[in-house]
Amino acid sequence: MLEEKHVQKQSSNRSFDISDAANIALFLAAFVGIWQLVFLLEIWPAYLLPSPAIVVGTIGDLTENSSLPIGIGITMARLGASFAISLGIGVGVGLAMVKFRGFGKTMSSFAVGLLTFPSIAWVPFSIVFFGFNDFAIFFVVVIASVFSVMISTYSSIRNIPPIYLRSARNMGANGFALFRHVMIPAATPSLILGIRQAWSFAWHALIGAEMFIATLYGLGHILNVGREFNRMDDVIATMITIFVIGVIFDRIIFRKIEERVRSRWGLDQHSE
Amino acid sequence: MITSEYQLSGTAVLQVNEVSKAFQYASPGSQRHVVLNRISIDVKDGEFVTIVGASGCGKSTLLNIIAGLESPDSGSILVKGERKVSTDRDRIVIFQEGALFPWLTVLENIEFGLKLAGSSKEKRRQAAGRFLNMVQLSRFANSYMYQLSGGMKQRVAIARALAIDPDILLMDEPFAALDVQTRDLLHNQLLQIHEATKKTILFVTHNMNEALSLGDRVVVLSPRTGGIKKEFAIGLPRPRDVESPEMTVIKRQILKELEEDFQFARRETRTETIQ
Repeated sequence: MLEEKHVQKQSSNRSFDISDAANIALFLAAFVGIWQLVFLLEIWPAYLLPSPAIVVGTIGDLTENSSLPIGIGITMARLGASFAISLGIGVGVGLAMVKFRGFGKTMSSFAVGLLTFPSIAWVPFSIVFFGFNDFAIFFVVVIASVFSVMISTYSSIRNIPPIYLRSARNMGANGFALFRHVMIPAATPSLILGIRQAWSFAWHALIGAEMFIATLYGLGHILNVGREFNRMDDVIATMITIFVIGVIFDRIIFRKIEERVRSRWGLDQHSE
Repeated sequence: MITSEYQLSGTAVLQVNEVSKAFQYASPGSQRHVVLNRISIDVKDGEFVTIVGASGCGKSTLLNIIAGLESPDSGSILVKGERKVSTDRDRIVIFQEGALFPWLTVLENIEFGLKLAGSSKEKRRQAAGRFLNMVQLSRFANSYMYQLSGGMKQRVAIARALAIDPDILLMDEPFAALDVQTRDLLHNQLLQIHEATKKTILFVTHNMNEALSLGDRVVVLSPRTGGIKKEFAIGLPRPRDVESPEMTVIKRQILKELEEDFQFARRETRTETIQ
């Protein structure tokens, strides 16, 4: 057929090219170079501003005495558990908001208000309520991210093009089948954006909560101990770890998922 | 007993009985706008009926009511003598565009209706493959929607509807967004499919040439009265040349019928802008 020639070929190979890698390497080299330079100028004593080499050494030490791996493990476990709770509650309430209009309207303005509320301000409440334990941390992380999940679920489902629902109903989709086979996949691209944002809220809240809610492990705990003992190399080493984890999740994991979904849904096609 | 009436009358697979629908404009104090006024159409099994009318004459509303996606203010829809009030797999709509699911491949889209009906995977694949072949898109079984042109998407939509095996195909300006050449290709393909499957087709369009070259019968709707203006039975063999003398005669007649309505529509727009 004539028109089949119009089929667009999509360039699938856009994951990671050489010039990107070169740019990143250059940027890192410049950053470390400036850091080293400032260190060499001896404006601040070495215990206040350790050199890059010292910090790398510290990362090695912390890894060797396994306080860093354990800290990462505990922190990620807390993140996983609390983010799972947050997703469960957020998606559940979001669906209820779609189902019951009045509730949805009220709840969405309430949730939007709470979105701007600094999550760290929940910490005193949480400590008094739960005590100095993991539950207090979970609470802060969940409350920091749950509203974002909720609102994103609500708006993603409400913004599904009505024609998908009409044609699915026409083909016999109702109730759970409509939800499972049409609403969820149709809402996915925008839902992923919301979840990515919620993850970033959760991550911020978690490190904050770990610092204030003293427990024995976790990256926030290492940061806090570093401060108390004036161990700046510990502090910076942990900050770098936190940065790297954030980059891995946001730039690599979430971005990959998002790109895959967007390309399959055809959302990256600017032509036509 | 209603069924037996159908069997007695024998012929009309779809009966539209005195269907009326009016819309209330949102602005306060405005009148109700009657889009459909006691419309009655009987469609025989295997018949290809086109409904033509100016924009705003309620053609799509009528189709949606027949599909059960909207409810009429009064009147009823009967399929094989049975009264229908909601959507059902015996009447499948092919929309103008955008109704295919971008998260599924072409093949999965076509299987969608069968999957809902709970047929086995093997059966689904087989049926979907058959209809994909019918619309000549077998090579694109594993493509996603963004990889297809507008005409190909509509062919997938037709295959998806056929896979459900409905009694009636309801087509809501399915080719309106396509260029002329593609539309001609799809007309031929649709006629072949109609020939092969003997499906009853109700096809709504604002394009008179399209209505004339496809339909066994052309129903002209009037936006002024909301009723059926006139019906034309087209006995000419297909494929038809819309420029032929016989067609031109019919075309003139229809144009004459539509003329008053176009003027009416123009006046309407003017008064609306004044308000």
